[in-house]
Amino acid sequence: MKNSFDEKILEEAKDWITANQKVVIATVIQTWGSSPRQVGSRMIVNEKGDFSGSVSGGCVESAVVRECIGIIKEKKPFKKIEFKVSNESAWEVGLACGGEIAVYLEQIN
Amino acid sequence: MKKQLLNQIIKKKENKDEFAIITNITSGESCIFEKNKPIDKNFEKYLDQIKNYFEKKKNGIIENTDIFVETYIRPIKIIIVGAVHIAQYLVDYAKSLNFEISIIDPRGYFASEQRFPDLKIINKWPEEAFKEIETNSNTALIALTHDPKIDDPALQHALKNKFYYIGALGSKKTHESRCQRLKDAGFSETEINSIHGPVGIKLGGRSAPEIALSIIAQLVAETHKR
Repeated sequence: MKNSFDEKILEEAKDWITANQKVVIATVIQTWGSSPRQVGSRMIVNEKGDFSGSVSGGCVESAVVRECIGIIKEKKPFKKIEFKVSNESAWEVGLACGGEIAVYLEQIN
Repeated sequence: MKKQLLNQIIKKKENKDEFAIITNITSGESCIFEKNKPIDKNFEKYLDQIKNYFEKKKNGIIENTDIFVETYIRPIKIIIVGAVHIAQYLVDYAKSLNFEISIIDPRGYFASEQRFPDLKIINKWPEEAFKEIETNSNTALIALTHDPKIDDPALQHALKNKFYYIGALGSKKTHESRCQRLKDAGFSETEINSIHGPVGIKLGGRSAPEIALSIIAQLVAETHKR
């Protein structure tokens, strides 16, 4: 029973593209341990760093936005990134919940 | 992903088709998979595994490959009988959950477009209305009029067509007499007991949005139990 509670992120991506924005779709493709969002969860990011949707519970979104802007600037069509458990004492990006996720970024062209 | 593919995906979602998006995460290529249709050449050698994911309605990377599969199934259909105040809030909740909603109410003054903008409202008696809606075991019914003339035929249709969720508004007393009427109409105890009545989970609230929330909470829970 997947996707009956779909979040309509792709539809939003289409609206952004129609408004002449550059859009990267970020999709959770793999999870290990207690990750907050399931495989298939999505967020979209434009060249200004506006975003919608989510790939975690707010833990790694800022890093995903940075990566997305990065691939738009470098004109890279896609990229895979992984996030691991964060070290609480450091100001690094990670999943405080202890899970791990892999996120696939792809530019709409 | 190509803009054209994105548009195709959205079109398929609008048409309520069942399909999967297939992505090769090393090459960046992607395509749409549909049952009984040929797949893009670059993905041919994974066809059996893709089919397997599709059948199980699974999302994920196929083991020992770089192929990511995301399956889309048809949204669940909810039929609300009674275009009443509670229905207005139900519609709001149901929309953000991506349920497909139809409202049946033979009373024109309730079922107005102004009260329910952008929604399929069938201004007919249930027997007639159900001729216009395809229903099956993936359909849910929420009966809200607590008027036997309107609710009962809808409940009977839902029981006969094995809807996975049937809820009926009304007090315990109203529900008892409803059950008796269904019994008299020849429905079995198991069938009658499958009706959620009084409808909704216990939240304690009595306002229209609270009752709507309690119904939608029960509906989501039952949807995941299937």
